[in-house]
Amino acid sequence: MSAALRRCLTPWLLLVMLWAPHAQAQTEEIAGSLGTVGSDTMAELMLRWGEALTRQHPGIRLQLQASGSASAPPALVSGTTRLGPMSRPMNEAERRTFIERHGYPPRELAVARDALVVVVHRHNPLESLGRRELDAIFSDSRRCGASEGIRRWQQLGLDRPEGRIRLHGRNAASGTQGLFRRIALCDGHFRPEVNEHPGSAAVVSAVAEDPRAIGYAGLNHLTPGVKALARRDAEGTRHFPDPEAVRRGDYALSRDLYLYLNLPPGESLPAPERAFLDLVLSPAGQAIVEELGFVALPEARRQHQRQRLALGEADP
Amino acid sequence: MPDSSSPPSVRRRLRQGRDRLATVLVTAGGIGVIAALLAIGVFLVVEVVPLFWPSGATQAVSPQALWLPLEGADDSVRFRWDPTATLGTDEPARISLVPLAWGTLEAAAWALLIAVPLALGAAAHSALYMSPRLRSRLKPTLELMEALPGVVIGFVAGLVLAPWVERHLADVLAMLVLLVPGLLLAGGLWSRLPPRLQQALPLGWAGLWLLPWLLLLLAASHALSPWLEAWAFGGDLRRWLEVHLGLDVAVRNAMIVGMAMGFAVMPSVYALAEDALSSVPRSLAEGAQALGATRWQTLWRVVLPAASPGIFSAVMIGAGRAVGETMIVLMASGNTALMTWNPLDGLRSLAATIAIELPEAGPEGPHYRLLLLAALLLFIFTFLVNTLAELVRSRLRRRYRRLGGGA
Repeated sequence: MSAALRRCLTPWLLLVMLWAPHAQAQTEEIAGSLGTVGSDTMAELMLRWGEALTRQHPGIRLQLQASGSASAPPALVSGTTRLGPMSRPMNEAERRTFIERHGYPPRELAVARDALVVVVHRHNPLESLGRRELDAIFSDSRRCGASEGIRRWQQLGLDRPEGRIRLHGRNAASGTQGLFRRIALCDGHFRPEVNEHPGSAAVVSAVAEDPRAIGYAGLNHLTPGVKALARRDAEGTRHFPDPEAVRRGDYALSRDLYLYLNLPPGESLPAPERAFLDLVLSPAGQAIVEELGFVALPEARRQHQRQRLALGEADP
Repeated sequence: MPDSSSPPSVRRRLRQGRDRLATVLVTAGGIGVIAALLAIGVFLVVEVVPLFWPSGATQAVSPQALWLPLEGADDSVRFRWDPTATLGTDEPARISLVPLAWGTLEAAAWALLIAVPLALGAAAHSALYMSPRLRSRLKPTLELMEALPGVVIGFVAGLVLAPWVERHLADVLAMLVLLVPGLLLAGGLWSRLPPRLQQALPLGWAGLWLLPWLLLLLAASHALSPWLEAWAFGGDLRRWLEVHLGLDVAVRNAMIVGMAMGFAVMPSVYALAEDALSSVPRSLAEGAQALGATRWQTLWRVVLPAASPGIFSAVMIGAGRAVGETMIVLMASGNTALMTWNPLDGLRSLAATIAIELPEAGPEGPHYRLLLLAALLLFIFTFLVNTLAELVRSRLRRRYRRLGGGA
């Protein structure tokens, strides 16, 4: 509840400046400021990475503007930032605009794994949902192949929460809603009855207080008040949204979180960006990812990304 | 002092200079406001135009899609708002503004339905009958209520009030059933009291001595609600509504929005109506009563018509605020773009849609322009409401001027 309040009271444009003038001296002297514009899902993650970076290199400060994934591409195109965090991959139009302006594509870098969880009230006896069932609950297009819509808990073979299913989700146009629509609804349409909340925390708190509710939210917003459902695949195997399944991608509602870089081909990274990415793709950076409830990249992918950026081996 | 020794012509010139400066400043301010208003309108129009007459890469949107039902769709999908999923794809665009306009008007209507009777009743009582001491306490309290930000009201309504009402639906119904007749009964009883008791419970202090009665009514409705639910609704009001009336109960619904926004609108309606009513000359009401009119006749036939221009503009100001209010609707309505008459269903307003989607809509895209079109619609709507209010007000004022009516 307090998270919902915070989300609503803070202005949509959150400007955070990190700055630690009295940190201990370092051997490497890198200074400069690092401006980023983008995803609000990743705001806390960027903040913590920025803090860790300033501890390593007291001269660098990170300026974070977290106004949504859609704000990253325009900022990268206009050159106000060289680093854009996004919770979804850039779409074709955004990529095209970038190339038109700069003449080369943006560098895409997966930095963490995230997942969407389908949650119900903690007293709801439901344990798992198949992909057709989930589609039949949330959509009225039923493109995943269900024969009829599911509007009541009884249609799922339950007798306990009585009556209509109450639907909760993220607001239209958010990256989270788009991902859920693409994977869980097979690119279909949400029912108009889905309550739209301006944040995952608000979805979770709405579901936590209503035994007849179901909703979807980001993995890192789970609270004890709600229960995350497993997803059954076509063979009937259940996949719980645990870190291992999210890392491997067995849990279908998982996604990468990205950093987009404006880096002309052939040029090497400027020192502040280099230090930041070195940290993000180091074991310490990935530990921060896990701490915040997201899932770290698989080891092989982490190493591969380091090589692509010519960062060298990180010390463990 | 140098001033006293200076000749009167210098002083006069100084005063004239000051006057001229003030006139220039006031005129400049007025022109500035009008220019700003025009600039907003022009900006919105310029930004919206490429939606229909595209240039370059942006594709056009057919105006029919904005307000006509989708062709070949069944009843449930005739008017749909889902721009992110359908704009720029091969599917027919689901960008109907009809459910959003519907939600805006529905929310405003419920808010006014709740706020206007309460605010006007309170204004009439406090302007005409309330003791001056009580009134001097009440007005600042209501003004404080007006200062409450919409976010706070919306937060309380969405996260505290809505779940409570959903769990205690029968309580709320019992309150409605008991409160109105209970208060009327109190009025009826009071007028029949012997004069000595009436003096002990003066009309001017009704706001205080009615409180225990109000609490008693609330307690009674709370005690009676299980019985009412068992007797009239088979033990479960929610299921009864669903089975017998086909009404779906959403936690965040139009009633909640109406209550919260009614609460937000009430103080301003009250303040304006109270000013209008108390500026009706006392002599009018006293004259009517001297001629034998009852209290009700005086209020209804003399004072209310004389104050009607002010009261009308109070209601219109309330309507304007209810239509444009964003945070309360956003947080208390569930933002479901439905079109139903059911007051227990959710809704989605134009203003809330703009607030939610604009930060995520890429600039210059069709979605962005669509949201600006919604903004233009709101702008035109409030402009029309205010113009209408001003026209009606000036006409009423001309008619009642000889009565010396207020505002």
